[in-house]
Amino acid sequence: MLKHRVLVAVLLAAFGATVLAQAPTAPRADAPPAPAIDLTGYWTPPMHEDAMERGAGSEIADYGGFALNEAGRLWALSYDPSRVTLRHHQCDAYVTAYQMRAVGNFRVWEERDPHNMRLIAIHVWGQTTEGHRTIWMDGRPHPPAWAPHTFRGFSTGRFVGNALVVSTTHIKQGWLRRNGTPESDQATVTEFFVRHGDHLTNTTVVNDPVFLSEPQVRSNDFSRVPVDHAAWLYACDDGEQILDRAPDFVPHYMFGKQPYAKEFSQKYKLPLAASVDGAPSMYPGYSATLRTVTDAAANALFEPATGKPNETAKVPDPEPRDGEIHVLPIREHTYMLVGDSGNIVVQTGEQGVFVVDTGAGTLADKVIAAIRRLSPKPIQFIANTSVHAEHVGGNAKIAAAGADLSLPGSFFQGQGATMGAVTGFFGQIGATATMLAHNNVAVRMQAANAPAAAIPPDTYLEDRRRKFYNDEAIELFYEANAITDGDSLVHFRKADVIVAGDLFTTTQYPVIDLKNGGTVQGEIKALNDILNRTVFEHEEDGGTMIVPGHGYLSNEHEVLEYRDMVVIVRDRVKAMIDAGATLAQVRTARVTADYDTRYGANTGPWTTAMFVEAVYNSLKPPAATNRSR
Amino acid sequence: MTHRFRAGFLVVVVAIATIGPATVHGQRGGPPPGPGGRQAGPPPTPRAGALADLTGYWVSLVTEDWRYRQFTPPKGDYTSVPLSPAGRKIADAWDPAKDETAGEQCKAYGAAGLMRMPTRVHITWQDDTTLKLETDAGTQTRTFAFGDAKGQGGDWQGVSTASWDYPRQLFPPAFGLGRGGGTPPGGSLKVVTTKMKPGYLRKNGVPYSATTVMTEYFDRFDIPGGDSLLVVSTEIVDPEYLATPYWTSTHFKRQADAAGWNPTPCAAR
Repeated sequence: MLKHRVLVAVLLAAFGATVLAQAPTAPRADAPPAPAIDLTGYWTPPMHEDAMERGAGSEIADYGGFALNEAGRLWALSYDPSRVTLRHHQCDAYVTAYQMRAVGNFRVWEERDPHNMRLIAIHVWGQTTEGHRTIWMDGRPHPPAWAPHTFRGFSTGRFVGNALVVSTTHIKQGWLRRNGTPESDQATVTEFFVRHGDHLTNTTVVNDPVFLSEPQVRSNDFSRVPVDHAAWLYACDDGEQILDRAPDFVPHYMFGKQPYAKEFSQKYKLPLAASVDGAPSMYPGYSATLRTVTDAAANALFEPATGKPNETAKVPDPEPRDGEIHVLPIREHTYMLVGDSGNIVVQTGEQGVFVVDTGAGTLADKVIAAIRRLSPKPIQFIANTSVHAEHVGGNAKIAAAGADLSLPGSFFQGQGATMGAVTGFFGQIGATATMLAHNNVAVRMQAANAPAAAIPPDTYLEDRRRKFYNDEAIELFYEANAITDGDSLVHFRKADVIVAGDLFTTTQYPVIDLKNGGTVQGEIKALNDILNRTVFEHEEDGGTMIVPGHGYLSNEHEVLEYRDMVVIVRDRVKAMIDAGATLAQVRTARVTADYDTRYGANTGPWTTAMFVEAVYNSLKPPAATNRSR
Repeated sequence: MTHRFRAGFLVVVVAIATIGPATVHGQRGGPPPGPGGRQAGPPPTPRAGALADLTGYWVSLVTEDWRYRQFTPPKGDYTSVPLSPAGRKIADAWDPAKDETAGEQCKAYGAAGLMRMPTRVHITWQDDTTLKLETDAGTQTRTFAFGDAKGQGGDWQGVSTASWDYPRQLFPPAFGLGRGGGTPPGGSLKVVTTKMKPGYLRKNGVPYSATTVMTEYFDRFDIPGGDSLLVVSTEIVDPEYLATPYWTSTHFKRQADAAGWNPTPCAAR
């Protein structure tokens, strides 16, 4: 009798509730599909494919089976593995697709809403580079183009058939293979996870318009293991590896000078072109076609193609261009305002509002409205990072919308009329926000006959200006002769946000404005100065956030890659100058060929040719510059 | 036990008896239930009940083990393959000239090595219960029979049995709880191949034996931009020449037509 009751109770527990629940079985139209597969647990890769790549590491110049375009191939050939000895590269993490390919176990767990058990996210923790990846399953949209990138990127997933399909965007620049085969920060990844018993297959499809000529597909196998393998690593901490290097030294090889580039083909007796031939190397019949490739044609693959126009950036426009101002919270009451060309930063607090840069000014009213939504306090300070129009364009309007309440009733008010007569400033003391900048900004604006109301009156001359505002230390650092001769970095120390102005952008080659005092050496120093003030949070992700003059919110990794690029281009141009090359010869050599698909432009206000010319003329001794033209 | 309790118990037992077969039917490997979760008449043929359309032309994307697949690697280079000592011994003795003399140029084109070849693949339904897979590399044909195995094997392609494999359903569709509640959303083609003539996993004589059992899952994925991928996840178990099961996954891109289809004979080198 008792055992019957127990049996019935068990059965009812199993099925009775089910019967009660039958009425509402039809899922709501908006309900997410039930998980088709369960990925939770511990997984390990058998590494029965590409064991060398995933273990000891790939050989130099082994790019066979990768759809690298010319830029990707040249970027890889220029890469010197010694670059990872640089402090800021030591903790580079793996990007999503490579994380799945590289050696290392991972574990997966689900995050569910405790009230309704809906799946919110699937979390993946990778052993290699100790990365935490979140795959959002709750239907949230991907962030806007100006949001930060991370090594794992931003992933959303959905179940399609028997697969988990994951879409990842906002990935940092990293590797497709860790012998320098690059994946750009513009890459997106589509993944398919399918589980067959305890065998998991993860297929990654990388679309990278910058470095690939077609999607790169790889499939990775994992075996489910019943218990924690207990082999987790620990967070990377960089250190001093090679001392006494110049701060502007970046290990790389000149085009055609990679001394080990041909070792791979020689070692395995492969045709020279085989491992550097890009997409064709992926397809059937490739080995047969190689028999017709001459040595000259193969050797040509190791340098930029001659007689070819510069490539242009294959990058979606990161500007919203919808006539609206978009607000991206950064940290600690600090916000990035996007939409009026140059990025604007707003810090709010008890005392008032501190603004860095004012955009082009075409949307100044909307900028003011956006600031009003962030704080009812007056805009008290405006700092300008440079004299460029996309950073001072809104000065007059935004300053007029603010007020510096520290001035009314002060000494300056009493002297306002007198001082205003002498300087042109302080005419209406405290009635507007106070504008700060390096003195050369004011000088350049005056020389350009800018309206007095737009010219920063509160300027500084030396290396540093500081202010304690809204319970936060704010520092302005002068970067001499970088983009111009009046550039400042603005560091919000509590929020740990650095506003870089056009010293750093994610959209174009640096606008080295020689007429206004810019130089390539100053630009490199400025980028290094940013890097000297940053701290990453975990494996080169997070930490100090950097607001570029244009483009997406970054951290030190983006500045680092940008610094590397400027140094490498500088080195190439300098080597040609040292060899007696004219500007025309430098241009023909396509010294930016591996970066043009990322930053290049052949039209518009700042072209690749203008950048190369600026670098050339910064480096060329002045007396000889004219002769080179 | 009261009469009332006995009656209740009987109801539960009858319910289980009714539900049970449906539940079993809904497990991995069985035919999928009909729309709405009810068994709609006789089960459809494998062709009619296909969980994915794998037919058409596909071209391999050799992006992994590239050096081993696009070129014939040197003798003794079996990196990544978990060969047993006996397997290594065979691989170290590879002699392509000997294979040619013996008329065994197709040793690397047997079922366990074929899909790793750089090749185009053409998949069609031979009949309602048999899928046919042809390759232009080596001009080989594999057949995947749903239901009873066909053929005696002993040739390069062995005997392959097929089934549609879909995510496990914990409850029958009628219950509507958990992961059950309707037609399975899609699935894989599972193919188990045995009775193969001994051949090579790689062209340089990395062996598999006649006792090999190969289990493959064929999945089709549609990717942004309109392309489709065929991913073949493979487990090869060879008690003679492999120390552990050997896992690979091999991917192909869908072609609109037969472009590039170029049947070639087997080559031992």
